[in-house]
Amino acid sequence: MSKYLIIIFILLLFAWYLSFSATRLDRLHHRVETSWEHLDALLQRRAALALEIAHQNDLDPAMDMLLTASAYESREAAMADRNEAESLLSESLKLIRESVSAGEIHIKVAFLDRLSDITEKIRVAISIHLEAVAAVENLRSKRIFQVFHLAGRAKLPFHYSFEDDQL
Amino acid sequence: MKLPLSRIGMVCPYGWDTPGGVQIHIKELAEHFISLGHYVSVIAPVSDESLVTEPWLVSAGRPLAVPFNGSVARVAFGPVATSRVRQWIAGNEFDLLHLHQPEVPSLSLIACWSAEGPMVGTFHTAAAKQRTLVAAGPILEPIIEKLTARIAVSEMARETLREHFETDAVVIPNGLSTSKYSTAQRRDEWSKDQTIGFLGRYEEPRKGLSVLLEALPLLVKKNPNLRILVAGPGDSEKVLKTVPISIRSRIIFLGRLSESEKADFLKSVTVYVAPNTGGESFGIILTEAMAAGATIVASDIPAFAEVLQSGEYGSLFISENSQSLATVIDGLLKNQEKRKELSKSGIEGADKYDWKNVAAQISGVYEMALASGPGVTLASENRPWKRFRANE
Repeated sequence: MSKYLIIIFILLLFAWYLSFSATRLDRLHHRVETSWEHLDALLQRRAALALEIAHQNDLDPAMDMLLTASAYESREAAMADRNEAESLLSESLKLIRESVSAGEIHIKVAFLDRLSDITEKIRVAISIHLEAVAAVENLRSKRIFQVFHLAGRAKLPFHYSFEDDQL
Repeated sequence: MKLPLSRIGMVCPYGWDTPGGVQIHIKELAEHFISLGHYVSVIAPVSDESLVTEPWLVSAGRPLAVPFNGSVARVAFGPVATSRVRQWIAGNEFDLLHLHQPEVPSLSLIACWSAEGPMVGTFHTAAAKQRTLVAAGPILEPIIEKLTARIAVSEMARETLREHFETDAVVIPNGLSTSKYSTAQRRDEWSKDQTIGFLGRYEEPRKGLSVLLEALPLLVKKNPNLRILVAGPGDSEKVLKTVPISIRSRIIFLGRLSESEKADFLKSVTVYVAPNTGGESFGIILTEAMAAGATIVASDIPAFAEVLQSGEYGSLFISENSQSLATVIDGLLKNQEKRKELSKSGIEGADKYDWKNVAAQISGVYEMALASGPGVTLASENRPWKRFRANE
């Protein structure tokens, strides 16, 4: 009799563990989504700012075009092309900043402040998002999550590889 | 975009009435955010509630002294502490929780376990592989994983976090009020002739007073008017016994200093020495000394080298090497130009650590965390079956 009780107890414990693990994973999936939404919003704001800079300053046509094109690119890009588009915009903005600090072009100070402010935020957002993605991948690679299908039908998070050293 | 006015709950794992870096950090952070108009409540273990003067502090019961991580930590846990933390979370409708040291078995860990919602964790410790943490990893990981964002106070602390929990963190240094130090007064009794200042619990070997004492005979020979001022709690008799009789009269013990006395002390001494041999995560004392305009000589342990930017804001010597210490101090005592230069660049460098800059970075992280959900609730109120019933 007590043998069955023990078996039932172990089964219950195991069921609890499975539910606990599934909750854990669910929470992480949620975190990946919200951190991406936040990052996405910041990136959109950066693109908008880039357009403003392009429109309101007397840049030379080539630089203006580069900036406008890469800003549009990052706003319109499909998920799969997002990496490349954002990296391109980072590079264009970096070019702008370098020219400003070299004294070649002049941009309103307000724009520069906003740009450095948003760049700093994006840097933090990227590290938080990548961290969440890594946590999900780490957990889902564990055996128990695969055998018991604890992730359900949730897709593996898309792995962005932003070049935040360029920001 | 600015952080909207929020209700912030901060959790302090260590006894509020024992002095310590984490407690001071939380106190000043809380005061700063209150001055910006946010609602802030702090929960901490308190041994005597009648002595608490801060209206925003909530007690979670008496702290217990527990040996942890090589020293004695005054922490709180158990059913009473847990129920107080839960009540505090349930009764305050926080938008965000800020947990300090969630890897320590105390209130922050309990809060992280019982709450659900936007949570930020700050990791203050830096240490090489710790057996306790490695062993506790499987328990801690699912709990610490709930944090929306992590902050490490230094590159060292970030490294420690990565090593133990496979997660990363944003580095934001500890803050300080530079104005408190820039307005300090130079006091004659501490600045007359030439003085070397030491600050800290000098009986602890890792504070490195013995390294400084070993360097003394050489220094005294070259600088006949030199005096050593040792500030901090401890048993001075025991220390004096380890020094040759001829130089005992040069060493003056000041006992524990108040915060404002400390600022004056740092401003007054000719050279401030921090010979710590290790175990420091972030040299908060160095940032204070920089703000006060002290000429700093510090050991080249990673945390100090990081704060001093490898010698830009103060001179470094080879850790635990009294020969090297004596050479560096002697060089500075003889070179007033160099001292002035270091003092000036130190004051400039300290601005980075002023609360106005540090808190701005922290509110950036808060903003990020707030985006992840509508507020903090107890995890037990969010069980799937309860959610199911709520939908009915």
